[in-house]
Amino acid sequence: MASLPARPPAGVLPLPPGWIEYKSPEGHPYYFNEHTQETTYTRPRFPTRGPPGPPPGGPRAFHNGPPQAFRDAPPAAPSNLPAGMTLNPNDIFNPFAANLPEAPRQQRSAWSQQFSHNGPQQHGGRGGHRGGHRAFPDRRKHSDDKPKHRHHIPNCAPWVLVQTKFKRRFVWNWETNESLWKFPADVMKAVVEFDQLEREKKERKERGEPEPEPEEAHTVMAEAEAEAEAEAESGPRPRVVEVQRPAEPAQESHVMDYDEEEYEEVEVTDDEGEESVQPSKRQRTEEPAEEAPLEMGEEDLEWQLAEMEAEYADDYAEEEEGLELTEEDCRALFSELLDDIGVSPYTTWDKIIEDGVLFDDERYKALPTMKARKECFDIWSRHKIQFLKEQKANQKTLDPRIPYLALLHDKATPKLYWVEFKKKFKKEPEMRDTKLNDKVREQLYRDHIKRMQLGQSTRKSDLSSLLKEQSISKLNRSTTLDTLPSSVLTDLRFISLPVAARNALVETYISTLSSAPEGAAQSEEERAEVAKKAAEKERRQRALVEREKRVEEERRRQERELRYQKGQLRDADMEIERALRVGKEGLRGQLQGLGGDLEKSSGDKEAENEVGLRTVPGSLDSTSTI
Amino acid sequence: MPPIRTSIKSQKAPPEGFEDIEPTLIEFKNKMKDAENASHEGKKKYEMSWPIFQISHQRSRYIYDLYYEKEAISRQLYDWLLKNQYADAMLIAKWKKQGYEKLCCNRCIQTKETNFRSTCICRVPKTNLKENENIQCISCGCRGCSSGD
Repeated sequence: MASLPARPPAGVLPLPPGWIEYKSPEGHPYYFNEHTQETTYTRPRFPTRGPPGPPPGGPRAFHNGPPQAFRDAPPAAPSNLPAGMTLNPNDIFNPFAANLPEAPRQQRSAWSQQFSHNGPQQHGGRGGHRGGHRAFPDRRKHSDDKPKHRHHIPNCAPWVLVQTKFKRRFVWNWETNESLWKFPADVMKAVVEFDQLEREKKERKERGEPEPEPEEAHTVMAEAEAEAEAEAESGPRPRVVEVQRPAEPAQESHVMDYDEEEYEEVEVTDDEGEESVQPSKRQRTEEPAEEAPLEMGEEDLEWQLAEMEAEYADDYAEEEEGLELTEEDCRALFSELLDDIGVSPYTTWDKIIEDGVLFDDERYKALPTMKARKECFDIWSRHKIQFLKEQKANQKTLDPRIPYLALLHDKATPKLYWVEFKKKFKKEPEMRDTKLNDKVREQLYRDHIKRMQLGQSTRKSDLSSLLKEQSISKLNRSTTLDTLPSSVLTDLRFISLPVAARNALVETYISTLSSAPEGAAQSEEERAEVAKKAAEKERRQRALVEREKRVEEERRRQERELRYQKGQLRDADMEIERALRVGKEGLRGQLQGLGGDLEKSSGDKEAENEVGLRTVPGSLDSTSTI
Repeated sequence: MPPIRTSIKSQKAPPEGFEDIEPTLIEFKNKMKDAENASHEGKKKYEMSWPIFQISHQRSRYIYDLYYEKEAISRQLYDWLLKNQYADAMLIAKWKKQGYEKLCCNRCIQTKETNFRSTCICRVPKTNLKENENIQCISCGCRGCSSGD
């Protein structure tokens, strides 16, 4: 990394060692102590922190920029600033900040607001409608991306590679003051080389080798700044900066899923008189973040931009929803949930709620009220019971005699009388089955015992005659031992042989049979039906997920709004507090204070004027395209 | 002296479909047993029977719903359940009448036993009561069972 000397952030007192400033996602700065793991919103260092006044004689020599611009700013040479990290501290001193497509306009550092609050202010957002001392930046309107690192590109003299806070990169020509998101062909080459160099350097650093100090970077930046300074001194004059779109090579073949507009010609006009001057911005001091992915191609850049736009889209106009979740869908989702948890349709709703099996699932929230859920449950259980009934009717009821005969086949012996047998096996479920009468059981038992006393050959011939009685539709070649028809299974002749002999006989008989007449035409329709149902189900699931996402987004938006309004309230409170702080001197004291303020603010104005020369303030948002 | 019959032997076997609703009925039975054996500590005298009424009401409603609303059980099973006193037939008879769809218990519509020949307070619609008046009737602990509520 081309380590340019860090310029101190304006209006900020340095943090004590160990403290690091971060920005929360909402833009509030907060501070983190590495050693104590402490986190706070209030800036550490001076416990009795008054309004940031004139500097206590800071290390001016450290400054790289024009010293007079720092007249009102307390100098801050962040002692904890890591070496090798370049901070681009102040938008005021940043000549290319204006060229940035969405340079933040609203942020004003604490000190500049302190002194300029009496002047006519024009805030971009709603934050200024009360004329508060500390305009709460309306961060929803603009994502505050800003230049952060500046790298010198070797062999590409006037061009400088700038990395923004959001890790986007663009090139800046400090001679013509051109800024381009898209690298021109020659610069592109140099940038690629530079990236390679960076990577090597990083590797070397990891290996612990010393790093040669890039001196030329120093000189380049010094030059650039000297030039900018000279320009500032030559007096205010409006400027028109043409941001040229480089001629795109025809063979460029990257996919443009991103809006073409981004690369369109942008004309940035600035007007010195406008109040929406580039506001100075309190710099954040930060430990070096993770190295940006160095091999960031154009596709990456585009993707990142698209990503950012999605994230920071300020208009929350909902895109047309691809999937609508109707009430019917909600009910269907809830029914599916009931299906999935395997609850019996015969239970009561109270029982299900008591068990609490529903709450974990997302589909539980598909319906808004308990009443609706109960209704849905009633409907579902009615349908389910009907369905079960039909199923039962279709399903051939298992003849209760079949398991009983199986029991007889296993356990019955001629040695036991019926009463003895009954007593011995009374715990068996087949003996307790209410569907089979006791009389029938007894009859079957007696018959079976009688048959057991017959000869083997008669029993065999009886079985074959039984098999021959069966029709071909029930008993055919495709029948196996497990799928024998019930008319066979409920016959005593079937169980009167031992298993091995019986199975052999049945199998040989089945093998002599012809195959059954086939009919499987309706299966096609059934399959289509099933597929349709599955598709419908999937659609509903997706719709639910989408709705969930929307709700989350809405919630986040509301939270942000709330925070914003709280900030406003805080401002108002501070204002009131200030108004109340009249003291014993009464109105006179306040007027004096006001006069002092005015003086200071005029001084501040001057500084800003000088600053404005370098910046290109103005109607940025009208021309910016992102 | 008539022979003492134990319930299992004299009972006719339940008709088809009883096994579907059996778990729920067993649950009700257990709940009822718990309510019967619950301690009376700190309860008023008339509060003692409230849970009994409640569970009995819930069970009757369950069977009523199964037969009339969901049509889940057969006529035979329904009759069998009534005969074996799983549900209160007299209460169900009232539920079929207009204006008594949510009736909590038969005692609450019995006017003859009250001082002013009126029904219970729980039969009064919420709109006719005072604002935020929470009532609980003495006979069964009902908080309001008028059809309009």
